[in-house]
Amino acid sequence: MTITTSIDAGIACRAINLVKVYGSGDTGVRALDGLSVEFRRGEFTAIMGPSGSGKSTLMHCLAGLDTATSGTVTVGATDLSALSDKKMTKLRRDRIGFVFQSYNLVPTLTAIENISLPLDIAGRRPNAAWLRQIVHTLGLADRLHHRPAELSGGQQQRVACARALASQPEIIFGDEPTGNLDSRSSGEVLGILRDAVDRLGQTVVIVTHDPHAASYADRVVFLADGRIVDEMRRPTADSVLDRMKSLEG
Amino acid sequence: MLGGKAMRRVSRRSLVAHKVRLALTVISVVLGTAFVAGSFVFTDTLKHTFNGIFGDADKGVDVRVDARNASDPGVPVALADRIRSTPGVRAVQLEVSAPIVLIGKDGKRVNSGGAPSEGMLWNPPAESIKAPPTFIAGTAPVAPGQVVINEGAAKKSKLGVGDHTKVVLPTRGVVDVTVTGIYRTNTQTGGYVGVEFTKAQGLRLFTDGTHVDAVSIAAAGVSEQVLRNRVAALLPSDLRAKTGDQVRKDDRNSVSQSLSFVNTFLLAFGLIALIVGTFIIYNTFSMIIAQRVRELALLRAIGAGRRQVRSSVILEATIIGAVGGVLGVAGGVGLAIGLRSLLDATGTGLPSGPLVISARTVIVALLVGIVVTLVSALGPARRASKTAPVEAMREEFVAAQRPLRARSIVGGLVAAAGVAVAIAGAGTHSVGSGSLLIGLGLLVTGTGVLLLAPALSRYIVGGLGAVVGRPFGTVGRLARTNSVRNPRRTAATAFALTVGLMLVSGIAVLGASTKASINALVDNDVRADYILQGTGQTDVPLPAVTAAAKVPGVQSMTQLHDLHTTINGADAEGTGVDGPLSAVLKITYREGGGPLTGNAMQISRTTAANKHWNLGDHIRLATPGGASVTTTITGVYDDGQLLGPWLVSGDTYRTLTPASRYADIVALVHAAPGTSAPALRAELLRVTDPYYTVDVKNKAEFKGQQAAQVNSLLGLLYGLLGLAIIIAILGIVNTLALSVVERRREIGMLRAVGMLRGQVRRTVYVESLLIAVFGAVLGLALGLTFGALFTHRLRGQGLSVVTVPWGQAVLFLVIAAVVGVLAALWPAVRAARTRPLSAIAEA
Repeated sequence: MTITTSIDAGIACRAINLVKVYGSGDTGVRALDGLSVEFRRGEFTAIMGPSGSGKSTLMHCLAGLDTATSGTVTVGATDLSALSDKKMTKLRRDRIGFVFQSYNLVPTLTAIENISLPLDIAGRRPNAAWLRQIVHTLGLADRLHHRPAELSGGQQQRVACARALASQPEIIFGDEPTGNLDSRSSGEVLGILRDAVDRLGQTVVIVTHDPHAASYADRVVFLADGRIVDEMRRPTADSVLDRMKSLEG
Repeated sequence: MLGGKAMRRVSRRSLVAHKVRLALTVISVVLGTAFVAGSFVFTDTLKHTFNGIFGDADKGVDVRVDARNASDPGVPVALADRIRSTPGVRAVQLEVSAPIVLIGKDGKRVNSGGAPSEGMLWNPPAESIKAPPTFIAGTAPVAPGQVVINEGAAKKSKLGVGDHTKVVLPTRGVVDVTVTGIYRTNTQTGGYVGVEFTKAQGLRLFTDGTHVDAVSIAAAGVSEQVLRNRVAALLPSDLRAKTGDQVRKDDRNSVSQSLSFVNTFLLAFGLIALIVGTFIIYNTFSMIIAQRVRELALLRAIGAGRRQVRSSVILEATIIGAVGGVLGVAGGVGLAIGLRSLLDATGTGLPSGPLVISARTVIVALLVGIVVTLVSALGPARRASKTAPVEAMREEFVAAQRPLRARSIVGGLVAAAGVAVAIAGAGTHSVGSGSLLIGLGLLVTGTGVLLLAPALSRYIVGGLGAVVGRPFGTVGRLARTNSVRNPRRTAATAFALTVGLMLVSGIAVLGASTKASINALVDNDVRADYILQGTGQTDVPLPAVTAAAKVPGVQSMTQLHDLHTTINGADAEGTGVDGPLSAVLKITYREGGGPLTGNAMQISRTTAANKHWNLGDHIRLATPGGASVTTTITGVYDDGQLLGPWLVSGDTYRTLTPASRYADIVALVHAAPGTSAPALRAELLRVTDPYYTVDVKNKAEFKGQQAAQVNSLLGLLYGLLGLAIIIAILGIVNTLALSVVERRREIGMLRAVGMLRGQVRRTVYVESLLIAVFGAVLGLALGLTFGALFTHRLRGQGLSVVTVPWGQAVLFLVIAAVVGVLAALWPAVRAARTRPLSAIAEA
């Protein structure tokens, strides 16, 4: 079932009054406490916050990996709270891209098989020209028939980015996508995501605790105790670091 | 260093924390040990009960006199009178027993199953040396035609006191009787039928009138030994006297001996179950430890010694082995009860008695459980303790795959050696050593294939997966790559099924070849139009054959008799023939020939060669009882299975066999030309019907009956091997369940990027199917090859045709595939329940 809640075509994803409670009663923890946020199309957003601020929970709810206790999440015009597991899975498959911190790739499949995996699962024929372009842009052309174990961490994460881009999703979510990478590889991966936003008009949302990573974004959203406490446009690593310090202190 | 107590606590907690895993491991130990315990309990119980029965039957016997040679007429009745007047003798009882068929109230034969159905003498209490049986109804027989029957037979036949019925004797035909009483003995077995006649009539029916099977004597005031010596002094050389103690000891020995086969047979299946179980336990431990490698590394990092890690794993194995062993004993008792009630229901005639659970049963089952589990756990434990702590604790740690090259080369060489040994065995002329060589070859080849299996799995599973997986697209590709991901694990999981299917398909080859050989034999060597046989184990009553011979359309009737005698002092077995032989059986003479009448004897070429007998030689056949016939060799024929080593006339047979034991094993009808088959059959059935126990079959029906017998034996073997298959299925369930746990994050990631639950399930099904079919392919290859080799080796034993049942082989493959999918049902559901968040979060 799809419910159109907003006419605003410029919004890729939106959360309204989102509440997520873990446990129940007195021992219940409110990970998200009535949070509302919007992500515009063609924008690169970083979600930041101290440990336990609810930033990962927020991303899981936005991406259809977890369901909120109350409140609404829409991706495009689709209300996620009304979806069955099957429809939710198809939504993730067809309209959302993922880049995780680790365990990103199927170890038994080659790089190219991993890249086309969501399309293959859907039984869709990959757009060959588009795939070639991604692979070329991401510098994976000579690595396509290697298995993940034969690739470096940075290469693996680039394969993961390619997989996210391959199905041309409405929005790409990254959960600490550079958490396991050295600074050079981090730069490469963030560069790819930045490039996707600038050149392809892709929408990207990442969760990170790294101010340098956040500095690649157009906008940084700061969370604390399950609420949005601040927002910053055109961030730099230093400005983000200062803001974080004040939040944690 | 961590204290032993702390390590024990870790072990204990780890066992409790993974209940499913624990349960699966324990179940595989239980299944293996239950079969071992069950076979012990079953045979111990049987032995105890049989001993009780014989002890009871021979209670009060102080001395027994019988013939040294079973084919002798027995003990003269006149001698019994002389023994009766010997000082120190209180009572003398004549022992007579002959196979009979009792006809029930419904006019049908009473089937005793495997238990005896015998006719005996009723001993009045004064002449009885043991307490007479209690009557639950009626009175003792006093006149000819009156009988008493045992309670079980009365129940089964629905006969009551005063009922008229018939008893069929192989030699005399049908006797009309009236039931005057029903007695109860505590020596009754399942289907046992006992009919007791008056002494006068019994002697007339079951003996030659002057001899009885044995004489039992009770002493008065003297010891068994003294009385035995006194009695022995009266006996001619062909009789012997035994003390009661000796009689009972001999009873017990013969019980143990006849049950030792059953015990060995059941233990063999227990062993198979254990071998299969060992793979599963080994596999489970390997996987559990692979999953726990990080936990174990943590223990090492905080100071646990290598030995402590190893002993903690060993402690776990011991606990699992002991728990499995205890449950296995309980399961074994259940299995024994189940087996007995199954056999009871089919009327196999096993006695019932209290279950015997000996200390040995418990100890052996426990030891087997613990040892098998320990052996299975040692390898993984050693590997676990060798892993460097830092290496294992790294986030991305994946247990390194050791190279397969060395293992595969050794496996290939071993397998080749095994095949060579087996082929040599199939080629030798000695059946015993040849079979042994083939068995050895199978063992060696099996070991080789086990070593080769991981390497083979890459090609076979890969190839299969490409075919089977294609219609499933990406799901098929994932399944295929998953099943070759860890070749050792795939191989060990599949090998349990390999062992099971190897045995099943090997037996299938033997069974199919046996049936084909029987068919070929009947088609080529039997010319008879109808075959008259006793129903079940009984012989054909002679009067029935006489009646059948007079049926219009019967050109000739040929009777075959088993003859037991001695030639030059050595035991010899041949066939006595009445009627024209070549009319009903194919016989090709090399030398001589002619009818088998009078003193003629004809021998096979093998007999001629072995004994150096020639045409015209005189051979003396004699029984220790004194009867003898000197025959003249009138023919040498080509060996044939139905003909045996030598043939003599029916007259010679009757001279050498006590009249009370005359019997036809089979009577063969040659129809007159132009006779209508249905009419002849109807008439044969009509005249033999009053004898109740005669089967009339044409060649096709005869083949069908033989095939049915082979099939029922196959059914029993398949049933027992079913256990190994069940264990193998559990093994697949186990491996898949643990793989699913192992791949939780990967499955979570697949779910996150859009894999539907159904697709996850299908991936697991296909993976399981591939593993199962891989195991089945190996098992079939081994089983069919070795079954064929073994059958070829038995070519001299009547298995002239080697038949590979391809249809059945395909069926087994299909079953394996189905089994694979069934085994995956539960693990697949578990896998599909994996939440996408598992890819990211630990929770």
